[in-house]
Amino acid sequence: MMNMKKILLLLGFVVLGFIGNELSAQKIFATRNGKIAFAAPSDDDVKAVNNEVTSRIADNGQITFSLLIKGFKFKYAEMQDHFNDQYLESTKYPRADFKGMVQNLTGVNFSKDGTYKVTVKGDLTMHGVTKNVSANGTIEIKGGKPVATCQFTILMKDFKVDASSVTDKVMVDVNCQYQ
Amino acid sequence: MKNWKKTILIIVLIGIIAAGAVIAYVYLKPHRDVTKEKGIALTAQALYDAFKANETDANTKYLNKAIELSGEVLDITTNQDGNTVVNFKTNDPLVVINCTFKTAPGALQPGDKIVFKGICTGYIPDANVVINEGVLVK
Repeated sequence: MMNMKKILLLLGFVVLGFIGNELSAQKIFATRNGKIAFAAPSDDDVKAVNNEVTSRIADNGQITFSLLIKGFKFKYAEMQDHFNDQYLESTKYPRADFKGMVQNLTGVNFSKDGTYKVTVKGDLTMHGVTKNVSANGTIEIKGGKPVATCQFTILMKDFKVDASSVTDKVMVDVNCQYQ
Repeated sequence: MKNWKKTILIIVLIGIIAAGAVIAYVYLKPHRDVTKEKGIALTAQALYDAFKANETDANTKYLNKAIELSGEVLDITTNQDGNTVVNFKTNDPLVVINCTFKTAPGALQPGDKIVFKGICTGYIPDANVVINEGVLVK
């Protein structure tokens, strides 16, 4: 009798486990080579691009971006060194991370090609500072694969970056094509 | 020529030379060329193991250093700006060493054993160690 109960209990857990798995099954799109660029609005030379952005977007709205600060390539080597050594201190803080959620997910159909306007909210960590940020962007579904694009502004002082001799803000341009 | 005129001329000249030197320093400094550096030789697996075990220690050893990486090619892709990217296999199916070439490496196939030299930019946990500005060694 004891054994019977145990077996039933076990079976119950197994069944629950399966249902749980089904409910949590979600589609995740990822890239290791997304693209994020930034530019200082006041100086055309101050711009850089990073082609090694790791990003994941799930059809439940979770979205993450991670990049390595030393992966930003500038046209001028001296600016790149200055950016790494003086401003972002990339040896001490090598990575920037964003973890957030697509707010208006109901408008996005991941299995139907089209362009959807979205708002993303979440925590951006860089230079040892974490700040809640929000930005408008688009998710385009093309051949069943999403492309996320977004432009937003980062104020240097929000992340305790002292680049006042160059700029007090940068415009950030996100373009990630997922697999 | 009067002495004070000479002095002013010299000061102006020094100023022009100094400004020129600053401009040259900022705008003409060449980008780092990994082909001229001796890389730290290690396998893709050893590099991942080091970052997985202790990211801070591994950063001290490998961040911003030239790395001569040997391992097996998992896949070959191009990034969104058209540069060749090779992912090296590790024993974790979710983690690769993500290597971007600055010059096209020629034909490569998944499964090839190659040696790549580039500059390590760091580690993204549960995803990849990143090396870029690289070239094919063999």
